[in-house]
Amino acid sequence: MRRRIILLLAFPAMFIAGCAKDDSGESAVGANGKADRKLRIAVIPKGTTHEFWKSGEAGARKAGEELGVEIIWKGPQRESDRAGQLKVVENFITQSVDGIALAPLDEKALVRPVKEAAEAGIKVAVWDSGLDESVGDAIISFVATDNFHAGEECGRRLAGLMGGKGRVIMLRHAVGHASTTKRAEGFLSGIKKAAPDIELVSVDQRGGTSIDEAIKTSENLLNQFGENIQGVFTPNESTTQGMLRALDEAGLAGKVAFVGFDTNDALIDALKEKKIAALAVQDPFRMGYTAVKNIVAAINGEKFEAEVDTGAVLLDLDNIDSEKIRKLLRKPAD
Amino acid sequence: MSESRLADRTGGSGARHKGLMAALLPVAGLFFVFLLLLILIAAFVPENVEHYLALKNIKTILKQAVIVGIGALAMTMIIVSGGIDLSAGSLVALAAVVCAHTVNWCDGDVFYLGFIPVPVLAAIAVGAFAGLLNGAVSARLGIAPFIVTLGMMMIARGLAEGLANEEIVRTPDNVLKTLMMRNPEPGWLIFSYGVWINILLLAGMMVLMRYTVFGRYIYALGANEQAARYSGINVTVNRVLIFTIAGAMFGLAGVMSYADIGDGDPTTAIALELDIIAAVVIGGASLAGGRGTPAGSMIGALIISVLYNGCVMLRVDDWVQKVLIGSIIIAAVWIDGIRNRRTP
Repeated sequence: MRRRIILLLAFPAMFIAGCAKDDSGESAVGANGKADRKLRIAVIPKGTTHEFWKSGEAGARKAGEELGVEIIWKGPQRESDRAGQLKVVENFITQSVDGIALAPLDEKALVRPVKEAAEAGIKVAVWDSGLDESVGDAIISFVATDNFHAGEECGRRLAGLMGGKGRVIMLRHAVGHASTTKRAEGFLSGIKKAAPDIELVSVDQRGGTSIDEAIKTSENLLNQFGENIQGVFTPNESTTQGMLRALDEAGLAGKVAFVGFDTNDALIDALKEKKIAALAVQDPFRMGYTAVKNIVAAINGEKFEAEVDTGAVLLDLDNIDSEKIRKLLRKPAD
Repeated sequence: MSESRLADRTGGSGARHKGLMAALLPVAGLFFVFLLLLILIAAFVPENVEHYLALKNIKTILKQAVIVGIGALAMTMIIVSGGIDLSAGSLVALAAVVCAHTVNWCDGDVFYLGFIPVPVLAAIAVGAFAGLLNGAVSARLGIAPFIVTLGMMMIARGLAEGLANEEIVRTPDNVLKTLMMRNPEPGWLIFSYGVWINILLLAGMMVLMRYTVFGRYIYALGANEQAARYSGINVTVNRVLIFTIAGAMFGLAGVMSYADIGDGDPTTAIALELDIIAAVVIGGASLAGGRGTPAGSMIGALIISVLYNGCVMLRVDDWVQKVLIGSIIIAAVWIDGIRNRRTP
């Protein structure tokens, strides 16, 4: 009986051992091989499932390779899990990593742990989404798309596609996300400036953080307004994909002008099938890359540009094959 | 934990000895998990060993166990009495939102007359009221607690989102936000206020369940409700009381959630009840009722926290951690079962 218990307990041990090997084999070698240890930089996204974050990871890892630093990638399970992301940051502080590149999923809740990290001497760069100004000089760098500006671009484009008239709905992302809120505000500003005659019939529904939530809300919106709208805007990957599914099912895909934000394979296919008119493409690869580079520069006392706008481009059928866009859409290194 | 059975209540030293053994089993489990992770960290991420054993890491592990820990103490009462509460996570979120609103209502000045923490009391009151409803509806209308609390899970989550206007409730800086700081003021406290509150609650709950009449009723109800009824225990009143006290504690856990995030987040603590129930079960309680101790459940909560912390230190992915906690739950119950069959 006792032997069976030991066997049973040994199972999880072997299991972690098996899993741990892939992840940290390299670092173990690094630690044993060299006397001065590699810098360790934790890169924390808002979530792990969207392709956007995988691009960010690829950028961070690229910078890590170039600079010879170790990148530790870990995010919360859900993009609304503030407590989960707090925990991740806290655990990296106790690990005494050298730097943290954080994409905060709440502009206020993450301020406290970021300050704690700064007090512990850890260099923190914020990417993708901003923190409340109360964070002060606890962060060394902010790398993101100028989201308001990008949202305005989307508003202008949609106004143009609709010929300056008609009705529009916008499906917001989740509460408390600084980046998508700015895009939404930018979009509204862009529409109002470019075409004041366009009627905004629904602009405060939220698609939440997951695609299934976004689909549900989109379906409900289309049930209400479906036949009477000419334009749609969505401010991130999950809302764009959710809205696309709902438009498809309602038989409206391709009939209304649809401008979305972010890309993945499914969205690009939809663009090619003319179900989506334009997609704003950010550069998460460059965000991850620049955030890591800036942290290393700060640690080494080198000069760097603290605030970086990584820019966004509107992707459509005309430019999808251009060199510039192809570079933006580069896939994470497998 | 056979000591906890009503039948053993007046047992001799033999029963007491078995009780001690049973109480030590979860402690041994905690040590085992801690050591296992230490060995793995030493093997694969050697530079993290010192961080894993550092005081600041212990501070982190304890702090991160607070919300599940307080919840597990409350859930122990319910599970030992033969019930279950699926609304725990939602009640935590609802209480956090109420706490945040009350903080705003008193403009960040959280101590009325300098010593009455109004937001904390409001959060506890809301939790207690929801618990009262859980208990009253299940005991009086004869609906299984599983169903009633499943309903309450959605009701409370909906109310939390509605009260918060489907947004996070922002609040000004105030004392409550320091409750979960890992380095508290004054420094001699070493651990965050939340940890100390958790320890006090543990002590209180141990006394309540072991030495009070009400505590023994809880075991009696879970061991055999019919027998309890025939021996003159007012089953309805006691069940309502159990759920109400537990609800109040979920409310307090909500205050801790508010303190941790710094604002009232209506979407927090989704599926937290599953972590809480896992902690209670790992701690040796039986879902059939009649068996379980507050100390065991607290250790269960610590085991989950250590696993989470250790997995981050090991740099393994979240999915590994989930598979691991799942295996530990099953293993813990299995080992407990073997031990119980061997020493009937």
